[in-house]
Amino acid sequence: MSEEQAVAGTPAAPRAERRVRRRGPVSWIDLRGRRLGGWAFVLNRATGLGVLLYLYLHLVVLSLLAGGPSSWDGFILIATNPLFLLLDVVLLFGLLAHGLNGIRVSLVGLGIVVDRQRALFVAFFIIGFIVFLIGAVRILGETGGG
Amino acid sequence: MTDRASTRDDAPAGRDVQDTPPEQPEAGSRTVGWLIQVITGALVLLLVTLHMIANHFIVPNGLRSFTDVVDYLRTPIVLFFEVTFLVVVTWHGLLGLRAVLFDFGLSRRTERAITGVLAVVGVVTVGYGLWLTSVVISWA
Repeated sequence: MSEEQAVAGTPAAPRAERRVRRRGPVSWIDLRGRRLGGWAFVLNRATGLGVLLYLYLHLVVLSLLAGGPSSWDGFILIATNPLFLLLDVVLLFGLLAHGLNGIRVSLVGLGIVVDRQRALFVAFFIIGFIVFLIGAVRILGETGGG
Repeated sequence: MTDRASTRDDAPAGRDVQDTPPEQPEAGSRTVGWLIQVITGALVLLLVTLHMIANHFIVPNGLRSFTDVVDYLRTPIVLFFEVTFLVVVTWHGLLGLRAVLFDFGLSRRTERAITGVLAVVGVVTVGYGLWLTSVVISWA
C-alpha cells in the first residue's frame, strides 16, 4: 500500500499524517510533506469541529422558539438574508466533507475497499461537489423569500 | 490490513495505537469508542439528511413558521426522529471533540477528566434540547 492509499488513522497511514496526530491539532497548519491521507485527516477534524460549533449555535438560535411566535417569526426574516444563507452554504460544505470522508474512513477501518482508498476519495469528492452545487443553488435561491 | 481497532479515528496521539501491529487488534473501550463513532456517524448522516430535507429544503423560505414548527413536532414519528437526532448528533460530536483533545497527548488522568466533563456537557445538551422541545409542543 502506498502512502497515498493509506487512510487517516490506520497504522499504514503516511508518515506526515502520523506526525499530524502525534503533534496534535497545532500541526494541522503545517503543510510540509502532507499527502492525501494527511489532508483527509485534517479536513475531517476541522470540518467536524466546525459542524460541532454550528450544532451549538443552532441550539442557541432554536432557543428563540421558547419566546413564542413573535420571537421565532422575527428571526425567520433575518435568516433569509444573503449573508445568513451563505453561512448555510458553508454548513452544507462542512456536512458533506465530514460525512463523505467519514464514510470513507469507516469503510476502510472496517476492512472494506482497503485497496481502493484513493478511488473512493475521488468518487466521494465528485459526489460531494455535485450535491454541494445543487444544495448551494437551492439555498441561495431562497434569498428574498421563495 | 483489516485491523479495525487500530484504524479508529478517536485514537489518542503518540500512544500505543499507531504502534500497535496490525495483527494485534487492541481490545477494550477505545475499540468500542471507534465503533460507536462509526455507528453514530452513519445515523447522523441519515438523520441530518432527513432533518435538512424536512426542515429546510421542502419548506418555503427554508424555515418553518412558529405554528408550523409546533405542528411538526406534535407529530409522534417526527418527535421520535428529532429527539433521536439530538441524542445521536450530540454523542457523535462530543466523542469527536474528545478524540481531537486526546490528540494533544494528554495524561490518562486528564483524559478521564475530559471524558467526564464531555459526558456532563452531553447530558446537559440533550436535557436542554428536550426541555426546549417540550416547551414548543405544549405551546397553547
